[in-house]
Amino acid sequence: MQTAWGWPIAIYLFLGGMGAGALLIAAAFEFSGKRYQYDFCPTALVGATVPGPLLILGTLLLIFDLGAGRREPWRILYMYTHFSSVMTWGVWLLTLFIPVALIYGFLEILDAFPATRQWLRSRRWLRWTAFLWNLPLRQTKRIFAGVGAVLAIGVATYTGILISAVGPAIPFWSTWVLPFIPIPMLPVLFLVSAISTGLGLTVDLAATLALGSVEQRLKSLPWIHLALIGAETLLLGMMLITALMAGGSAAKSAQEIIAGSYAIVFWFLIVLPGFIFPFVVHAYAIGLGRHSPVSGVGSGMGIVISGLFLRYLILISGIPAAL
Amino acid sequence: MPATISRRRFLGLTAAAGVAAALGLPLLRKEASSAEERPKARYALIIDTTKCTGCGACIEACRQRNKLPEGLSYIRRIVKGNERNPWFLMVQCQHCANPPCATVCPTHATYRREDGVVLIDPRLCVGCKYCMQACPYQARIFDEKRGVADKCWLCLPWVLGGGLPACVEACIPGARIFGRADDPQSEVAQLIASGRAKPLHPEFGTEPSILFYIMPEE
Repeated sequence: MQTAWGWPIAIYLFLGGMGAGALLIAAAFEFSGKRYQYDFCPTALVGATVPGPLLILGTLLLIFDLGAGRREPWRILYMYTHFSSVMTWGVWLLTLFIPVALIYGFLEILDAFPATRQWLRSRRWLRWTAFLWNLPLRQTKRIFAGVGAVLAIGVATYTGILISAVGPAIPFWSTWVLPFIPIPMLPVLFLVSAISTGLGLTVDLAATLALGSVEQRLKSLPWIHLALIGAETLLLGMMLITALMAGGSAAKSAQEIIAGSYAIVFWFLIVLPGFIFPFVVHAYAIGLGRHSPVSGVGSGMGIVISGLFLRYLILISGIPAAL
Repeated sequence: MPATISRRRFLGLTAAAGVAAALGLPLLRKEASSAEERPKARYALIIDTTKCTGCGACIEACRQRNKLPEGLSYIRRIVKGNERNPWFLMVQCQHCANPPCATVCPTHATYRREDGVVLIDPRLCVGCKYCMQACPYQARIFDEKRGVADKCWLCLPWVLGGGLPACVEACIPGARIFGRADDPQSEVAQLIASGRAKPLHPEFGTEPSILFYIMPEE
C-alpha cells in the first residue's frame, strides 16, 4: 500500500471528477435546449454554479497536501513549467477550468434570477462586473458552457492519467483496459465515474430536492443511470480482472479490493450504494414509471458517496512493485 | 569638426572593443578549459549481494553523513530468499538514465547531471510526492522538516573531491565497490563488462546507470 498520498488527494480526485461531471451535465442541458423547456432548471443551475467552488476547494486540498509549496506558495508557480509531467497539465487545466466554471455559474445565476442584475447594479463595488452582464447573456453563457465542457473532460480524465503515469512503480494504477489493449483503464473509468457522480449531484439530488420529482423533466434519467452503472461495472470489472491476470503487485491490489483488507470499502461503500442501490431504484422506476423523491435523493447520495470511496480505494490500494 | 568626428569614432571603437572583450573573454576562457579535455566521468557503484551480510552499516553511515533523522536513510534493506537461506538487497537511488522521477516532477527540481548522477534541487521542489510514487525502486524519502523529496545523491561533493560515498566507506564485508566505469581498467568497468554486475530490474525500463548488483547464483 502506498502511503505518500491519502485522503486530501482522494477528496480532490472526487471533487474534481464530480465538478467536471456536473458541468458536463449542465452543458448538455444547455446545448440540447432542455435548459429552456422550463422557467426554472435546477440541474443547469447547480451544474453550472457548483463546479467552480468544488474545484477551488479541491485545489486548496492539493495545496494543503504539498510540503514546501504550502509554506512557500510561490513555489507553486514552478509547477506550470515542466510539461513532461501530467501534474503540470493538471495545474494548467485547473487554472483554466476554475475561472471558466465560475463565470459560467455567474452567467447561469444571471439567467435564472434576472433580479440579480438589479442587485449587482445597486452595489458599487460589484459594478466592475458590468462587462459580463452587459454582453448578450445566452450567447456568452453558451460559449463558457462549451469551453467549460471541453476543459471538464480534461479535468475528469487527467486525474486518471496522472495516477496511471507512474507506470511500473505502482502497476495496479496503470492496469490496461484489457490484457491485450495497452491503454490504461483509470482515465476511462474516472471519466465515466465523473459523469455518473455529476448526474447524481445535479439531477438525482438537486433536481429532486428542488422539484420534488424529476420524472417530467428527464424521462430518460433511469435509462441513462442504468447505462452508466452498466458501463462502470464493465470498466471496473475489466480493470480488476486484467489486474488479476497481470499478476504481481497489481494482482495483489485487486485481491485486496475483492476479498482482502479493502473488501468492506469496496462492497459496502462503493458497490452497494453506487451500483446495486441506484440500479434497483432506477430499474424499479422504469417498471413503475415513476420515482419517489426519497429514492431519487437516495440514489443520488449513494452515487456521490460511492464516487468518493472509489477514488479513495483506487488511491490507497496502489501497492508498489516488489523488488 | 574633424576633431569631433575622430572623437566620436574613438568612443565608438572603445565601446566596440569593450563589447568584444566582454563577449570574447568568456569564450576564450571556455576554450582554455576545454583544451584540457577531461574525459566525462561515469561513476558506478556495484553492490555484491553475495558478500552483503545485511548488517546495515551502510544505512547508518548514510544517515549520519547526510544528517538524516533517526530511522531515515537513503538506503533500504529488503530481505530476500527463504528463512533458512536469507540474503539482503540494499536499495537506494539507481541514478537511472531514464529517470521517471524527473519526468513526473512538475517543476524542474529533479534533474540528471551529465555524469549520470540524478539530483534534487530542494529550492525548486514543492513537495507533491509525485516522484515518490513514480520511482519503481521506492528510493525516495520525504524530508518533513523542509517539505521536500530527498534521496541518495551518491555523496557527490565527497566523490568530486576524490572521496567515497559514505555507504562504500562503511561497508564492512567490502560488498560495495565504487569506481569509474569510464576507465576500462577499473574493477567496476570489468565487472559490468563481464556481465556479472547487472542493473536491478531492467524491465522497469528506467535504465539504471550507476548502481549495479551482483546477484546470488540461481
